Amino acid sequence: MAGKPTMADAQRRLVENPFYVLGLRPECSRLDVEREGQKLLGMLELRLKSAAIYMTPLGPQPRSAERVRAAMAELRNPDRRLLHEFWARLPPRPEPPKPPEPPRPEHDLEPFSAAFAAHGWRRP
Amino acid sequence: MSSANLVYVGIDLGTTNSTAAVFDGDKVTLVRNSQGSPITPSVVRIDARGNLIVGARARRFLESDPDNTRAEFKRLMGTAQAIRFAAAGVERRPEELAAEVLKSLRKDIEDQLGFVPARAVISVPALFELPQSSATSEAARLAGFERVELLQEPIASALAAGWTIEDKAGSWLVYDLGGGTFDVSLLETRDGLLRVIGHDGDNFLGGRDFDWAIVDWILEQLARKDGVALSRAEPGHAATIRKIKLAAEEAKIELSRVAETSIAVAGLSVGETTFDLDLVLDRDTLERLCAPAIERSLVVCRRLLAAHGVPEGGLTRVVMVGGPSVMPMVRRQVSAALGLPPEEGLDPMTLVAQGAAIYAATAGLEARPTALEPVRGAKIWLQYPAMSSDLTPHVVGRLVERGRASNVVPSEVRLSRADGLWDTPWTGLDEEGAFVLAVSLIARRPNVFRLEGRSATGGAVVLDPPTLTIVQGLTISDPPLSRTIGVATAGDDVRVYFERGAPLPARRTFTLQTVETVAKGSKDSLIKIPIVQGEYDAAHLCRLVGALEISGGELRQTLPSGTEIELTIELDRGGRMAAKALVPATGQVFEQIAHLLVPEAAPEVLDAQIVALRGRLGELRTDAFRRGLAGVIDKLGKAEAALVDLALDVGAAKGGDADAAQKARRSLIELDALLESVELDRRWPELDKEAREAIVYATIVVSEHGLPHEQSLFNETARAVERARQTRDPLELQRQLRLLNRLSYAAGSRDPEVWRRRFENASVDLGNLTDPVKGQVLIKEGREALAKGDNDALRRVVQKLWQLTPGDPEQRRRGHDSGVR
Repeated sequence: MAGKPTMADAQRRLVENPFYVLGLRPECSRLDVEREGQKLLGMLELRLKSAAIYMTPLGPQPRSAERVRAAMAELRNPDRRLLHEFWARLPPRPEPPKPPEPPRPEHDLEPFSAAFAAHGWRRP
Repeated sequence: MSSANLVYVGIDLGTTNSTAAVFDGDKVTLVRNSQGSPITPSVVRIDARGNLIVGARARRFLESDPDNTRAEFKRLMGTAQAIRFAAAGVERRPEELAAEVLKSLRKDIEDQLGFVPARAVISVPALFELPQSSATSEAARLAGFERVELLQEPIASALAAGWTIEDKAGSWLVYDLGGGTFDVSLLETRDGLLRVIGHDGDNFLGGRDFDWAIVDWILEQLARKDGVALSRAEPGHAATIRKIKLAAEEAKIELSRVAETSIAVAGLSVGETTFDLDLVLDRDTLERLCAPAIERSLVVCRRLLAAHGVPEGGLTRVVMVGGPSVMPMVRRQVSAALGLPPEEGLDPMTLVAQGAAIYAATAGLEARPTALEPVRGAKIWLQYPAMSSDLTPHVVGRLVERGRASNVVPSEVRLSRADGLWDTPWTGLDEEGAFVLAVSLIARRPNVFRLEGRSATGGAVVLDPPTLTIVQGLTISDPPLSRTIGVATAGDDVRVYFERGAPLPARRTFTLQTVETVAKGSKDSLIKIPIVQGEYDAAHLCRLVGALEISGGELRQTLPSGTEIELTIELDRGGRMAAKALVPATGQVFEQIAHLLVPEAAPEVLDAQIVALRGRLGELRTDAFRRGLAGVIDKLGKAEAALVDLALDVGAAKGGDADAAQKARRSLIELDALLESVELDRRWPELDKEAREAIVYATIVVSEHGLPHEQSLFNETARAVERARQTRDPLELQRQLRLLNRLSYAAGSRDPEVWRRRFENASVDLGNLTDPVKGQVLIKEGREALAKGDNDALRRVVQKLWQLTPGDPEQRRRGHDSGVR
């Protein structure tokens, strides 16, 4: 029944889309929503700059704890999530490039030990 | 660190009984009182010497010394009603008595755990209004708790049930029939996360209604068989009625086991006459007496399921909570109505307290008082879920002090699980001194992690805190707000801040405008910002739950009419509210909520309201009969029956039952809303005509001056108007009409001719403006703008002139005397 969406509607739906707020793609699982939301709330509580903005197809937007909570609540509701999935098909703009990291010490690059540590297991 | 270090406390502060439970991250244990019972009656007694006793010991005096022994004060929480203890000659507020019950439970916890808990979660009914929640927090503060969070009772029940039952996926209905309140919640569990889909309930329906139904039956029998005329409306009969009520309560419990029982009380009196009560009550009669109350609860259940589109047979579980839900007839009727048996093996009397304790872990509210210890290393500010349904949640941390010597500051950190089987990789701190680590949890257990650090040179760095614990298990998503909250405006509208279902905590700011000038220094002049709770568009139908008042005496400078006020309302997870008003023009901030009380309900005022309602009802009924409107007649019949109950409650209120007075006050608001909907229905032809005209006008204005999105919105609204007309839904039509008028206004505002007409209309009322001098200046400016053809300037002038319009005093009165628009 809804009429054809206007540019203003489309912009709002993109800019406030919960997937962009949480930095997730529409394919993500419900668990991803909780995990990412909880992480972002923690980062915002610690006032980390890295969580202060989120990227949308229309550029960066300020992120707040209220917005993250609202986004999590929207994506927990299956009907509401469907609507947001439709509007989150466009990939967000890439974040500005960061300066390259300094080279890591050689022993860190050893394939086996890196894989082992990455999975969180201690050497026997 | 072992899991034994963790203690989370949950308290079910009930109308009839209270319970405390502790959760150690692994299992829940009930706290036993000095009598060895996990259930403490919510009863307080103060004797002539001022000695105070709580619980079962106090309950023993409820019958023999009711003037000094008080129960059911939870139902008065948030009201200004003082509760008197005659012998000691003292009065206590309901929250002070609740605090005594909490102190008693706190002592029991201390006896069991060896320390006084500083933090806890206390459950409240889902439909508690803000003043009631606020009074509960106050009771906790008075009881000595350093910090508490409030949790809605059905969420607590579901959380406890979910923790106990392994197979958890699906939709749940939690049917919580307490002593004085009824809550029903629809929940869903998926992926270990419990989500509240919706709530409904009745703040004044509970086991107590069963008791009163039996009492009324007894009074009827006494009058018929023995000619004894006892009345709940007669203050002199109160003592006798209390004795009868206790006997009725005992008979009700007895009939859960046997088919019939006798109700016998010797030596009762009415005035000078003494008599003995000796009646037989059978189960069939009890079921007939209680059926209306149970049916009321089932109507609420069906309404909730329908509101969320749950079809018949769509529920996977029904959890029944609360003392009265133990009654076989209640379980049978609920089971028959919902099409599945209630969950077995859960203790309906203690489930809420158990869930509250588990929730305390979710909220990271450790009960043990924090000892102030010196910082022993590099201080890390950590954020992590104290309880998580996710098996790999994140831990986020940030170094608090970064400017210290490099050998005592970590450049890398890692987390090691205490069982020694899992570590995160060493992870460098970023440019903000922060890190994010995903950890691996063992399911349904408390998981302790050591936080380790090493410096840039590879040396170990001591970190503070050295450990953290995450419990893995079913968790609850942000609790939803149970009723819409907004600000009442001078036009009797509601500016909605938070819709029902909004996730908590929440915070929002809107800009409002004052409707009249408030002079600096004038203590008599005041801007009142009423905060209301309810689902109606009209402010007077919503409940006033608080008000922020700005008195002239506090102002740094006079605030002219139309001054902007930025009002922020904030709600915490338990639904407690804080409000803050900023006047940008002066930079002044006002934070004191003037009163946060359920309004008083004097019987005389209630009587007058009933008379007025009866008048309206009679008029509407005559009209409905004349026009042969069967649906309306049926609706009015229900209203009439409700008026009879209401009159009984007002009678009981006159007999000193303050709780009945509160119930009557709320019923009156609901009846008022019902009659208003009938009146709106009566106005249907007028409303329908208004809608057709509005469509014609909007079609022209929006097509000529509307922006593309306004045209698209107009198409949607026009369709919605048509639907409301076809289904003959006056409330919906009125809502859509408001939208349509707003659209016409917005589009029409681009037409210079419209502003010329608006200016002329506004200028005519110069004498009535709140500031005629300012009005005169504006009219002069408007004429100049007209002469120059400056439409923007003309629009600004008209908007300023509107701000000086005093508004309709009657509407403002109905809008809780709001001073803002």
